[in-house]
Amino acid sequence: MTEQTIAANPGIGRRAFLRGATATGLAAATLPLGSRIWAQSGKVLRVSSYADIDALDPGFYQNGYNVDVMNCIYSKLVRYVPGREWDWELEAAEEIEQVDDTHIRFKLRPGIMFTGGYGEMTAEDVKFSFERVLEHDSPVKSDWGPLDHVEVTGTYEGTIVLKEPFQPLWSITLPYGTGHIVSKKAVMEATESGGNFGMEPPAYSGPYILKEWKPNQYVHLVRNPEWTGEAPGFDEIRILPMDDTKTAERAYEAGDLDYTEITLSSLAQYRGNVPAETVIEEYPSLYYVWLGMNLDNPALGDENLRKAIQYAINAEQIIDAAYFGEAAPATGLIAPGLPGHRETPSVPVAGDLDKAREYLEAAGGPPSEPLTIDALNATVWKTMAEVIQAQLAQIGIQTQINVQDSGSFWTLGMESEGARWKDMQLVLNRFSMLPDPYYATSWFVTDQVGVWNWERFSSEEFDALHQQALSEADAEARAEMYRKMQELMEASGAYKFITHEGTPVMYREGLEPALRPDGRPLFIDFKGDV
Amino acid sequence: MIFYATQRFVLSVVIVMVAVSILTLMLHVVPGDPAVMILGPRATPELIEQTRVAMGLDQPLPVQIVTFFGNILRGDLGQDVFTGRAVSQIVFEQLPYTLILITVSILWAAVLGIALGCYSALRRNTWLDTLTGVISVGTISIPAFVMALYSVLVFAVWLRWLPAIGAGEGFWDGVTHLILPSFAIGVSWVGYVARIVRASMLEVMGQPHVRMARAYGLPDGWITRSHILKIAVQPAVTLIGTGVAHLFSAAVFVEVIFARPGIGALIVQAVNERNYPIVLGAVLVTTGIIVLATLISDLVIAWIDPRQREEL
Repeated sequence: MTEQTIAANPGIGRRAFLRGATATGLAAATLPLGSRIWAQSGKVLRVSSYADIDALDPGFYQNGYNVDVMNCIYSKLVRYVPGREWDWELEAAEEIEQVDDTHIRFKLRPGIMFTGGYGEMTAEDVKFSFERVLEHDSPVKSDWGPLDHVEVTGTYEGTIVLKEPFQPLWSITLPYGTGHIVSKKAVMEATESGGNFGMEPPAYSGPYILKEWKPNQYVHLVRNPEWTGEAPGFDEIRILPMDDTKTAERAYEAGDLDYTEITLSSLAQYRGNVPAETVIEEYPSLYYVWLGMNLDNPALGDENLRKAIQYAINAEQIIDAAYFGEAAPATGLIAPGLPGHRETPSVPVAGDLDKAREYLEAAGGPPSEPLTIDALNATVWKTMAEVIQAQLAQIGIQTQINVQDSGSFWTLGMESEGARWKDMQLVLNRFSMLPDPYYATSWFVTDQVGVWNWERFSSEEFDALHQQALSEADAEARAEMYRKMQELMEASGAYKFITHEGTPVMYREGLEPALRPDGRPLFIDFKGDV
Repeated sequence: MIFYATQRFVLSVVIVMVAVSILTLMLHVVPGDPAVMILGPRATPELIEQTRVAMGLDQPLPVQIVTFFGNILRGDLGQDVFTGRAVSQIVFEQLPYTLILITVSILWAAVLGIALGCYSALRRNTWLDTLTGVISVGTISIPAFVMALYSVLVFAVWLRWLPAIGAGEGFWDGVTHLILPSFAIGVSWVGYVARIVRASMLEVMGQPHVRMARAYGLPDGWITRSHILKIAVQPAVTLIGTGVAHLFSAAVFVEVIFARPGIGALIVQAVNERNYPIVLGAVLVTTGIIVLATLISDLVIAWIDPRQREEL
């Protein structure tokens, strides 16, 4: 962790400009949005988000930016603890315990009220919230794994019953999206069938309520007057969607934001020139970036050629060029801090050119035709592809880079989208994950070949380990399984792991942000003054 | 005049239909599956297929196009595949922001461009003429997004006079949020308008009716306003009318840089997400506006210039 602060930089600031402004109306108008709201409403937190919300029903959510808002407006049995290590703590639950491998008993804290006159939160609401995810065939029903049902044993008490053990329940189900609890009565009134209520929550149960959502402008949260728990740190939260993180950086520097994520490419610059009254922190990220090789493409059928490519790639050089040296190299899919993270990969991070040449010789030399590298059409991906192109050229492998927009890229290896997967050879890929290794490995099982497993990697041992690890209660044994799975992936020659990136953030001095260990914000726990 | 206007209107409708049909074809030619984008990575193949059917994507392309136009006649542009909100609601929510942005940009271009062009023509071959020429070419050369980036850095980040992002709330707040983005778009058009007005004025100044007016001893200011400028601005009006499409393009970048709501940012996001209903709805509306702007500029010219009016 690094922190840097600097004193305010005097100059012709907004106030100086306003003193010089002759018209009172102009003066009022020139105060940026946030400053005026501050004056009107008390403690206001202004933050950026990398996208605008598009789903507020926790049973049918997609994407983390929606969950950032859900965390504030609904309650869950348990939630992530802000800090540097992954852990959870009680939220709506007063007690919760794993009775045996398939039963989790909980007791709700009495007095949690739903807004709109929908009464107190009960175990019936918990049962409804969790079971509707399966009943309505939600696209995220896999979060609930083998949920069988929720047994209500009292007004506040109940038991979550699983068909088989499911370890990720504690790390990605209960404290995250589908773990949020909605009002059965309110949702049934709003939807009749209990299905997806979309963007209009019928009742809130968190410390904030959604006062206004102006699409592509802001999400405005205000304190929930019916909230009986500990008062949140701010009266209002304004979340401003900005697709481009550089825009958020400029907005922060202009005084329009109190907290924002920053790009790795800006990090070094900010370190050398920290904005006034600002703290910069760096967190590791759960993202994983790798170069994948299509095992079913004839040009990559020789394992020695794939290994030559693995060993020719120097991830450190890629990180220097694409991330200005600020990202963490990857040793596999699983980021540091999670069970199953490997300290060292089988193929060295920096590669080994001599070994690469040996493998290439064993493969009978480089392919006669250039190989293709598919990548997203953003600068960082193009840079990475270019570095890989140069690295492979060192051992005589010629490549051609194809950049594609996100809509096109993300269906590249899908069999349902035609025959493009057959032509795909090398692909620069990046997946996000939740804090459980199961989430990462689930994309590389045999069932996922032609869906998200674009390398078309298939291993019975891998599939069996993936299944066993879901129910393995011994943490170290489970971690070892995931380490073994990553070894199998690497041994196939289809993967060269590059980086986990990183999550640098900056915020005003006086603000006490609450962040998950991967740097994602938990706005509900933000405190302090801005 | 009525026949001319009707003829142009019918042509405009045809242009809009052709544009939307071509776009629909293009959307289906490029790879990408809206159902996958909507449902995310964890959806089952069965659910993805159900969503495709619900969206009508299993139908042949001509059927989809006919259905789309049939729905338009009923006033239905479809639903946003992510939020389930009506496309018309989303598009018309965002459209005013872009229209205001473009209108104010045009005002920057017209006011500054005509003034500079006029000044330059009236003082031709002086150092001031040369200076305005340099300024004009300079502004033409600077892309809108470069101007946007630097204007934010100077006026929002460094001087902190104006806000960096958003559209603001209320009239005055909205005005302050509009200054930088509209200037960024409008300034590159200042040069075009100024050069055209200058050239046009110089041409008109040499015409017999202007010489006649001078011979009668009419005041210079009156001659300039009534006999020269009125004719000389016509090419500029045409330029601005046809330039609306370019202004929409510039608005895309500027809306992203200033994190402003607007139809440009909406289309870019929808294309990346393969959100077909939004793309089609938004492009239908913007094409309609561009065609309408061209039509209006033609009609305005016909109205300004009595010679053209008589020819219709």
